[in-house]
Amino acid sequence: MALGWGSKIILGASHQLFPVLIEGKLHSNFLAYLSFIFAATGIPLLVFSFYEFDMGMMARTGATLINLAVISYFVNLWLSMSNTKKQNVHAVFAFTSVLWLFLTTGLGLLLIWNFTSHTLSNDSLHYLSLHAHLGIIGWFLLMIIGVGSRLIPMFLISKYENTTKLWWIYALINIGLLSFLFLFLSSPRSELYFIPIALISSGIILFGNHIYRSFAKRIRKKVDEQVKISMLSVAFIIIPIIVMVAIIAFFTTVSSTQLALLYGFTIFFGWITAIILGMTFKTLPFIVWNKVYHNIAGLGKTPNPKELFLNSVFIVSGVSYLIGFLVFGLGIIQRNTLILNVGAILLLVTAVLYNFNVFIILFHKAKINER
Amino acid sequence: MNVKTNNSKKGDIAISGLYDVIDPEIGLNIIDLGLVYQIDFVEENKEIIVTMTLTTQFCPMGDAIVSSTTQSMQQSFPEDKIQVNLTFDPHWDASMISEEGNKFLNY
Repeated sequence: MALGWGSKIILGASHQLFPVLIEGKLHSNFLAYLSFIFAATGIPLLVFSFYEFDMGMMARTGATLINLAVISYFVNLWLSMSNTKKQNVHAVFAFTSVLWLFLTTGLGLLLIWNFTSHTLSNDSLHYLSLHAHLGIIGWFLLMIIGVGSRLIPMFLISKYENTTKLWWIYALINIGLLSFLFLFLSSPRSELYFIPIALISSGIILFGNHIYRSFAKRIRKKVDEQVKISMLSVAFIIIPIIVMVAIIAFFTTVSSTQLALLYGFTIFFGWITAIILGMTFKTLPFIVWNKVYHNIAGLGKTPNPKELFLNSVFIVSGVSYLIGFLVFGLGIIQRNTLILNVGAILLLVTAVLYNFNVFIILFHKAKINER
Repeated sequence: MNVKTNNSKKGDIAISGLYDVIDPEIGLNIIDLGLVYQIDFVEENKEIIVTMTLTTQFCPMGDAIVSSTTQSMQQSFPEDKIQVNLTFDPHWDASMISEEGNKFLNY
């Protein structure tokens, strides 16, 4: 379900932001709607199938629909990029991420078939870490770096630019991921996995440095909470890397299930959730503001996009998220049900407040004071 | 602020109105932000041509900013036809922000 939320919001936001990256128009709104419909029907089918752990017809249909959503998305971005003369590193990041996404969902579909028809040489669970990393690194990380390296400096009005560094990040992450794919399929010793970890970590550290320098060279001194939490998410990427190194280094002495849980949790509820929490309230108010006010903005004083939601609620949700994340992570390490429950309640509070604010934005009615 | 115009008197009236057009993301008006390059008054056609830019091409707020600019100009000059032309040559950069704008952003 969390993956459904993350994927849907990134699919939606990237359709909106891709024109900014390529400095051109999105090729087709029809394909965008088609992608939405396929994903909106496919994800619930797949979620329900996982809940029931029934990998039959419903799971196959869900996975096929998700693949159709990705194909519509891929074709749309491909045609949009073809129609524009300018290509830049941000767009290449985003487009490559969609290629990895396609590989991820394609493999996902194959794994579902493999549950019942044994198409692959191993059982489906064997390939889960490959499936997960193609999605997390290939899709989420590349997309977030592509969009983040464009938007965060833009929101900060930063003078910092370094395209060469961004190309290095692109190369390090993609070579790292390809080497992981090769190592996984050729089944070598686990110590060799330090190679992709080192390559991808170097890319992430360079990205962190890029964001830090953008921040240091910003013109806009006052940074809003949404950008702050998005920047914090960049720092959060380092946590799963540390856990991953621990998994390999202490694989035989510490419970691998416990570390694997912590690894997955810190990726999804640390880095990805933080950037979605921040960027939702940076981009969604603009989308709605544009829809509501773009024809009447000059007629009088309109609220700013950031006034379309309650900032106090956002701050409370941010605090409950940060504490909830730390407490739940501690609960995983300690294997303590009470701590886990407290962390889960705090994360639930975050989710409720997040939804509350999102619905306030979505149902905003025009307010205009004539000059 | 360095807006070129062929009629300084009418230009001042136009600029005074455009101070009310705010970039919704930054919260700063488009004059101090340096988005307006030129305002030409074509007297024989009763037409005013505003040449301006956006902080980024295909900015999601671009339509709204252009629409606000047109409406602000129409309020200042109700009898004239308003045309807003977008240009990205030169591209906007932070050096185009006025001193007042920089003070606002450094607050």
